[in-house]
Amino acid sequence: MWISNMSPMISRRQLLQSTSLGSIALASLLQDSSSALGGISAADDSPLMEREPHFPARVKRVIHLFMNGGPSQMDTFDRKPKLNQLDGEPLPESVRNQLQPTQRKRAGNLFGSPFRFKKYGQSGLEVSELFPKVALHADDLCVIRSMQGEIANHTPGLLLTNCGHSTLPRPSLGSWLLYGLGNESAELPGFVVLCPRGLPTAQSRNWTSAFMPGVFQGTHIDTASPGGEIVPNLTRSDVRAGSQRAQLAFTQFLNRRHAQTRPEDQRLESRIHTMELAFRMQSAGTEAFDLSQEPAHILEMYGDTLQGRNMLFARRLTERGVRYVQVYHGAGQPWDNHGSIVKNITRLAGESDQPIAALLTDLKQRGMLDETLVIWGGEMGRTPTVQQVKDPSKVGRDHHIDGYTVWMAGGGVRGGMTYGATDELAMQVTENKVTMPDFHATILHQLGFDHKRLTYRYSGRDFRLTDVHGQVIEDILHV
Amino acid sequence: MRAPRDIVSRLFVILAVFGTFPGMLRSEESPEGVRFFEQKIRPLLAEHCYECHSEQAGEQQGGLLLDRQSGWLEGGHTNKAVIPGDPDASLLLTAVRYDDADLEMPPDGPLEDESIALLEQWIRRGAPGPAEDLGETQFSRLGDQDLLFQQAAGHWAFKPLKPVAVPTGRFLDDDRIDDLDSKSTIPEWGSGAVDQFVLRSLFEAGLTPSPLAEPAALARRLNFDLTGLPPSYEQLREFEAVAAEDFESATFRLIDELIQSPAFGQHFGRLWLDVVRYADTDNNYRPDTRTPHYYPFAFSYRDYVVRAFNDDKPFDQFFKEQMAADLMGYGPDSPELAALGFYAAGPYATRAPAEAIDDWIDVTTRGLMGLTVACARCHDHKFEPVPTADYYSLRGVFAAVSRVNPLDEQKQPRLTSYSPAESEVKDYERKRAKIDAKISAAAGKKAKGNNRSVAQKIRETELAELLLFHPGAPARAMIVAERKRPPPSYVFLRGDPSARGDLVPRRFLKILDPQQESFPEDASGRLELANQIASPSNPLTARVFVNRIWGHLIGSHLVATTSDFGLQGSRPTHPELLDWLADDFVRHDWSVKHLVRRIVFSHAYQQSSRFRETASKVDPANQWLWRANRKHLSIEAIRDRILTASRQLDVRVGGHPEPLWGEDYTRRRAIYGFVNRFNLDPTLRAFDFPAPVQTQPARGESIVPFQALFTMNSPFVIDQAAAIIADESFVRISSDEQRVEYLFRSILGRDPSAAEVSRASKLIEFQERFQEPANKKTRFINSPWPLMAQALLMSNEFQYVD
Repeated sequence: MWISNMSPMISRRQLLQSTSLGSIALASLLQDSSSALGGISAADDSPLMEREPHFPARVKRVIHLFMNGGPSQMDTFDRKPKLNQLDGEPLPESVRNQLQPTQRKRAGNLFGSPFRFKKYGQSGLEVSELFPKVALHADDLCVIRSMQGEIANHTPGLLLTNCGHSTLPRPSLGSWLLYGLGNESAELPGFVVLCPRGLPTAQSRNWTSAFMPGVFQGTHIDTASPGGEIVPNLTRSDVRAGSQRAQLAFTQFLNRRHAQTRPEDQRLESRIHTMELAFRMQSAGTEAFDLSQEPAHILEMYGDTLQGRNMLFARRLTERGVRYVQVYHGAGQPWDNHGSIVKNITRLAGESDQPIAALLTDLKQRGMLDETLVIWGGEMGRTPTVQQVKDPSKVGRDHHIDGYTVWMAGGGVRGGMTYGATDELAMQVTENKVTMPDFHATILHQLGFDHKRLTYRYSGRDFRLTDVHGQVIEDILHV
Repeated sequence: MRAPRDIVSRLFVILAVFGTFPGMLRSEESPEGVRFFEQKIRPLLAEHCYECHSEQAGEQQGGLLLDRQSGWLEGGHTNKAVIPGDPDASLLLTAVRYDDADLEMPPDGPLEDESIALLEQWIRRGAPGPAEDLGETQFSRLGDQDLLFQQAAGHWAFKPLKPVAVPTGRFLDDDRIDDLDSKSTIPEWGSGAVDQFVLRSLFEAGLTPSPLAEPAALARRLNFDLTGLPPSYEQLREFEAVAAEDFESATFRLIDELIQSPAFGQHFGRLWLDVVRYADTDNNYRPDTRTPHYYPFAFSYRDYVVRAFNDDKPFDQFFKEQMAADLMGYGPDSPELAALGFYAAGPYATRAPAEAIDDWIDVTTRGLMGLTVACARCHDHKFEPVPTADYYSLRGVFAAVSRVNPLDEQKQPRLTSYSPAESEVKDYERKRAKIDAKISAAAGKKAKGNNRSVAQKIRETELAELLLFHPGAPARAMIVAERKRPPPSYVFLRGDPSARGDLVPRRFLKILDPQQESFPEDASGRLELANQIASPSNPLTARVFVNRIWGHLIGSHLVATTSDFGLQGSRPTHPELLDWLADDFVRHDWSVKHLVRRIVFSHAYQQSSRFRETASKVDPANQWLWRANRKHLSIEAIRDRILTASRQLDVRVGGHPEPLWGEDYTRRRAIYGFVNRFNLDPTLRAFDFPAPVQTQPARGESIVPFQALFTMNSPFVIDQAAAIIADESFVRISSDEQRVEYLFRSILGRDPSAAEVSRASKLIEFQERFQEPANKKTRFINSPWPLMAQALLMSNEFQYVD
């Protein structure tokens, strides 16, 4: 594990025991700052202080598995027998104009899915052979087949999905959650974005806090970079933990004296508290990413791969109180299969099937799935037509925003069901259209918020994640 | 067949347009009509429509209310909802019949046929309303520009600036003075205008001011507030000595010295850079090269800003140059052209041109005038007297501006005011030649994968980085250009460029220019707009700017919403003081140094920050300024202070940006750090440095562990702590006690107390137990001293100024 080269974690107790030479002296050093070591959560006036939502929340945290690039719906969770029958036929001109303008011009013949579907679980939910292990959780999946996007390209799609607006800078969903709920964890950031090997398309705008305070912004971690740190400056390796504790005790001694003559200034007290919190974060942050603590069977279940580690980090972080973990498949837009889709989607699904299934299994066996909302999906879907490629063995699918598929699991969402539908050629939504504001309203609802009342005043007006839209999709929720 | 009451309804329309209804109305409806409405129609509307179209639900989506007659008669943004007597012409029916794919209501599914038939019948009957009609209410008038203009007529911020009489101080004779604490301080209270205004407000609140701050505390405060740099221990002692002789003249000299120092502009410049969302890159990066879109010449704008503060450029001129230096007759290599970075260095590449224009309108109106005009892009402003036409008048001005490619070395004029060292120029030229050769060699080649020109990729990366970072690279003004023929500007309905509304002339905002005089046909109007904004008769510009400077110095603003002076903004705590300062500022040639002097010479500024129980009971938030505010240092000041303690700070003015952190971190002041807009530095972010993607009203102070982690673990702080210890003057010292004393003096600017010395010795003793023999290799720091130095850098005292 890449984490092993980070400095060892030492609890205060271990630390006192380990430094036999200095233990007594350290104990005496710590004495005068002992009050600063008590049970402290985020300071009262901190923007990260825990807050209650509008009504009791069904869900404590969200894991958003972002298949950035836009996975193909008819090859994964939206079976289209009629399309398969018409495979290779020209696209009827009568429906060509249903495609977005950019796609209209370059759409080739109809392209049935080469992947077989099977019914799974008691519900008989249909899943393609690309996700055989996720399929075993069919009775926990709520597959929404009627997502409606706005602009058929990646950056606008990512921004819409994450921030509720295709073009303008707006706070991301994770920022809204921290703004609304504060940070549950006293030791870890509340909004973590895992993305191996760089940044997804649209980069940090995907987790921006925009006009909200910077502390609500997501913390991006490159889970593929060895020695990477969960937060900047998390640890230093050139001092013994005991020395650093003693140093901090001296600083806190000065801080207390300084605050004594300024007793009214809450900020000084807050800083004394956050310094202790920072000290604890050094080990908590390191610990959360230390997979060597996991038993062999868990490691094996997730698999020792990039995606496996990603999912396991997600579980460890949520377990430790991180509210919103977003897991991108990789930098850029890996699921953007304009070419060689059969080969590429097989690889991509192959990389993530076992880890995602393991995550669901793991959350369930820990009793966490009920209060964790797991979301799978991309910023769009793909066309039912071939994107014209000269070499027929390298065909792909184009962008498609009219009826793409995402799924949810856990978190008070009804499993083993599909919601919404597309027509038999997968061109358009025919039933229960779900817009992004609807989607966001539903997520916020599960977290205890009325999306119309979760507002932030900026530049003279009250902003909402859902702007002036959005309806909670009641039909997919447990009552 | 039309019922006679149709006529009544029509009268209602006329009344609704020309008259105002005072609240609840008695309707003239016939009893049958009312009954029909209440029994058949209201339940339908309530069930299917009121969630989004009623005052009760607090919603009037699409501008439509269906809980009153005027609501459906006037209709929403789309059109009238109901034409009494004519169901087929009524949009309401079109919507419920699902006839028009763009207008299907209710959104969750069509109504039953029976219900639709009822609505038809109702409209055919003349659409009678309730007996007690709500009429016009505050809610229904939300966004009503006529009403907003009426309210704006009495709004303080839109009133012209005029001289304000300074209070005479006679209120001091009031009997209540006997009840106040610390009245002994009043005689020494300044006689200047600022003090008189503040004192009157204090007095009216039953408060008194605090005594003057201790000389050392005052000197520290002045140094940080005016230059962002700490005074040395020696300077503080010297000031104490002269202040003991003659406090007033000592303070006078110190203030003068600080205001004349080049550090003044470096410090105040940063305040302005927040407002103008300054950065050295665009808001995006190139995925194939994984580099940001660099702005190699943005720094000349930053330097222009610093220079404007240092040269005490009249700020009306400063505002105008930023908006329109290219139209003011400056020569092609004038340093003033760099002012155009105000627009050119904003976020752009990832957005549609419409978004760049929106950003320009926003930074111009909110940044300079505290008006949220950008809200009027899709509809008339809901809360401010800003009709959509205003937005598109300004849009016309900015649509005439064309952007210059930030990498273009031909179109962006070279600034001869920069003269880098010859050796640096030579080094630059050598490196440049190499890159140029590489570019020529790559001519015609395309990159694998995305087919981009290899030469272009080299220009965007290696060349751009050389131009941006190399101290010998020529400086250029990052400019915008003017289109030959300014395009006409139409209102875009609901902000949608494909839905053109009326043609609007380029002109100034209606609320500030009721005559609505158009700018000349053949001009973009940018200079005319600049003249309107930087005019002594503009009621907003000076007020907004003065408030920013006041907040910077005092630690709280007179108007808390610094970029919103509209109807929705906060009211000033001291309206007359704000007006007096703004008027005085304009009269003194828009001199910022004059304004700063006015403020820092006041007792209000110079008073102690010490807490007073009694006063805090009356005014816990200190809005009446019964004491000075304790201020937290910005990340820039913290960084500069650390480098000052290690004696490494490089105070040179101007030039190319350099990295703030990392192995090769700059020793220059933090304002010269490279600002990456697309991926803002996490340390800056953690310390409330605003994301430079929009104009920023003011910095907040958040308290988060990432800040503590920075002082505890960042390589920069660790390295600086080591540098403090490595400095010759520390190495020379032989006793531990003197070492402790040295560290307190050089880092905190004061002597340690006996308790602190003794506590420090415990840390030293503890740490010395770990000390390994000199020749034994270990990855741990052995000496206690770097840890001690760092402990002081980590302290609250280091980051707060009393």
